[in-house]
Amino acid sequence: MSAPHVIVIGAGSTGAATAHDLALRGFRVTVLERGEIANQTTGRNHCLLHSGGRYCVKDQESAIECIDENLILRRIMPEALELNDGLFVAITEEDLAFKQLFVAGCVACHIPYREISPQRALALEPFLNPKLLAAVQVPDGVFEPWRFCLAFLATAKHNGASVRAFAEVTDLLRSGSAVTGVKVRDLRTGQTETLGADLVVNATGPWAGEIAHLGGVDVPVQPTAGVMVTVDRRLNNMVVNRLDKPSDGDIVVPQRQTSIIGTTSWTILDPDQIDIPKDHIDKMIHKGQELIPAIAQRVVRGVGAAARPLIRKANTDEREVSRTFECFDHKYDGVEGFVTISGGKTTTARGMAEKVTDLVAGKLGVSAECRTRTTPLLSYRLFYN
Amino acid sequence: MATRTEPTPRPRRIWQWGDIRHRNLGMIAFILNRLSGLGLTLYLFLHMLVLSTLAQGPAGWDPFIEIVKAPWFLLLDVVLLFGLLIHGLNGLRVTLNGFGLGVRAQKPLFVGLMVIAVVTGAIGTWLIFTK
Amino acid sequence: MAIEVPVKMFRCKAGEAPRFEAHRVSVPDDANVIDVIDAVWRQDNTLMFRHACHHASCGTCAVRVNGYEKLPCIVPVREAMAGQTEMVIEPLRNFPLVGDLVVDVTSFFQKQAASGMVITRAAEPSLDGRAYERAEVFDDAGRLDTRPYNRFENCIECGICLSACPTLSATDRFFGPAGLAAVRRAVQTTPDPRRKSLLLALADSDHGVWQCHSAFECTEACPQDVDPAGAIMALRRELAVRKLKAVFGLGGH
Repeated sequence: MSAPHVIVIGAGSTGAATAHDLALRGFRVTVLERGEIANQTTGRNHCLLHSGGRYCVKDQESAIECIDENLILRRIMPEALELNDGLFVAITEEDLAFKQLFVAGCVACHIPYREISPQRALALEPFLNPKLLAAVQVPDGVFEPWRFCLAFLATAKHNGASVRAFAEVTDLLRSGSAVTGVKVRDLRTGQTETLGADLVVNATGPWAGEIAHLGGVDVPVQPTAGVMVTVDRRLNNMVVNRLDKPSDGDIVVPQRQTSIIGTTSWTILDPDQIDIPKDHIDKMIHKGQELIPAIAQRVVRGVGAAARPLIRKANTDEREVSRTFECFDHKYDGVEGFVTISGGKTTTARGMAEKVTDLVAGKLGVSAECRTRTTPLLSYRLFYN
Repeated sequence: MATRTEPTPRPRRIWQWGDIRHRNLGMIAFILNRLSGLGLTLYLFLHMLVLSTLAQGPAGWDPFIEIVKAPWFLLLDVVLLFGLLIHGLNGLRVTLNGFGLGVRAQKPLFVGLMVIAVVTGAIGTWLIFTK
Repeated sequence: MAIEVPVKMFRCKAGEAPRFEAHRVSVPDDANVIDVIDAVWRQDNTLMFRHACHHASCGTCAVRVNGYEKLPCIVPVREAMAGQTEMVIEPLRNFPLVGDLVVDVTSFFQKQAASGMVITRAAEPSLDGRAYERAEVFDDAGRLDTRPYNRFENCIECGICLSACPTLSATDRFFGPAGLAAVRRAVQTTPDPRRKSLLLALADSDHGVWQCHSAFECTEACPQDVDPAGAIMALRRELAVRKLKAVFGLGGH
């Protein structure tokens, strides 16, 4: 008897990590992505490998997920990360008052940290705002989102998975109350075909609601856009965060020879139609200067926006929505053979994959244990083998 | 099962390496070097062919010398001279660059060498037609 | 402020003849060319194009804009339209075509893999001209470690240098500018002399550095200041010096 066939819709970080976990546990896996790998939410994120520091005060569940996954990713993809830590810096007296909460949060979430003096912080990061009042160092890092996904997919392919880019799922096949496969349009040829599956995983991030609708179910995903502004020089080695609860323009992530300022947050209806408001770009540059004044003299190199898939809960504004993830088994909505994994962040993609693959394995009666915590990933370049 | 679509190989056309649109000085250097290289190779064969007539003694050689003295043939000598200068001096640039010399200055190096080629070629032309 | 951009978009589906499709899109005046491509996609989402980061880090979006190889994510529309009446967008040259703006990068990445370049390296000793003190970073166990900061390499493997290379327009077998630049990087960074010899042998092979015609088009086109031609010349120099030493018996091996 051959292994069960699982279709994963979406090749962002969640889909890529899920394909890897499924393939490692012996499933036959097909990944379908309507565009390039990581062409939306994952591709245009901060590139921040979270230490959990950003969430350790208001959202400790997310913070703990982050630090756990951070340490795992350092082991399984060491060469694909810039590992230079992060600084949370206090600029105002208000920020300084937040420090105690922050440090307590680090302790509660077992995030390694150390306080360093403003003089020492400036010696390490000479472009920091010289008016800083305090700095706390945590193990943040930087990844490159496209290659991050490719590393997971390269390993999945090595373990037998099939990955098809430019293959758009246009409908779900139904048999009675169960999803039994997908209808897929190959954009290279314009041809539509059907693919049968024992189970379909919806890993389409902010599009999860649209795909779920094809299966006749609802998923409370709130697409929330965020803008990133990249300047033409690398102005920091450590990730520089504002020592405060998350807000607009409170982080500058170094990457390659540039620095990326993030981010804003606004609710959108259609994740395919994001028009970047000009004032958001100006705000990034303005707020970024509070952390690194030299941003004022730099030229903007790139501006990007994509929708995050935040899990909607009643009566919360978009900044307050938890950044943790949810895994939905649609059997509770009366549909078998269909699960959705959404929310979360790229840093926690492996953990999300573990949770959804546990669910899939349980549903399909496969007893293999998750091994992704310790399995080193192949080079992203081997995706093209 | 999934059908696979093989990528279409892009047709290569001979003019593509002669297409200088949207390209820079280095492309012109490359094309000049290729054209002069092909010309010199052709010349080498012709030269061998001509030399082989020497073996037939004065009967074969003297009519050839008459042709060579014609003004239109001297024009071909000028083409040969420019070909040699351009190929040789451009080759000098490639060699110097290959030893890590003047890599940053490859453009001025090319322009400078080509100025030398033109000046030397002009003097040579003058000598060919006046001596 | 929005600007209207007349676009001529290269379209080609498998088995069909390529054609140019006319579009008119409206984008903010400070938009980049990637936003124009995205706007065309919003009109017709069967358009295939590659993109991810929109800040010149992933290297997926490279295309030709009015004939020139560009990363559309960092080229302002205003700059691309200067002196132009329309924007012609085509896929890269010297790659097999998958369809529309998408080219097949498989053999390119296989060569990149063969080069063995690690994508992270030690960061520069100063930040945009300002010196900084030696790093102290947390290791996996949460202890402080004094090692240099690291960062991703400049090369984003976008394929622009391959599209600009005149040698590659005549043959697929040339190892290519990005591949040879990666070999050069690996030669510089590997501590293993045996590995270094293997890498130099790769550079010295029939389709290595000697197949380059010194047109320097790769370096002209590179959006990331990688200077592949400079890397090829440096490899040539290293190989020439080795050969000369071998001829005169100075090699020491």
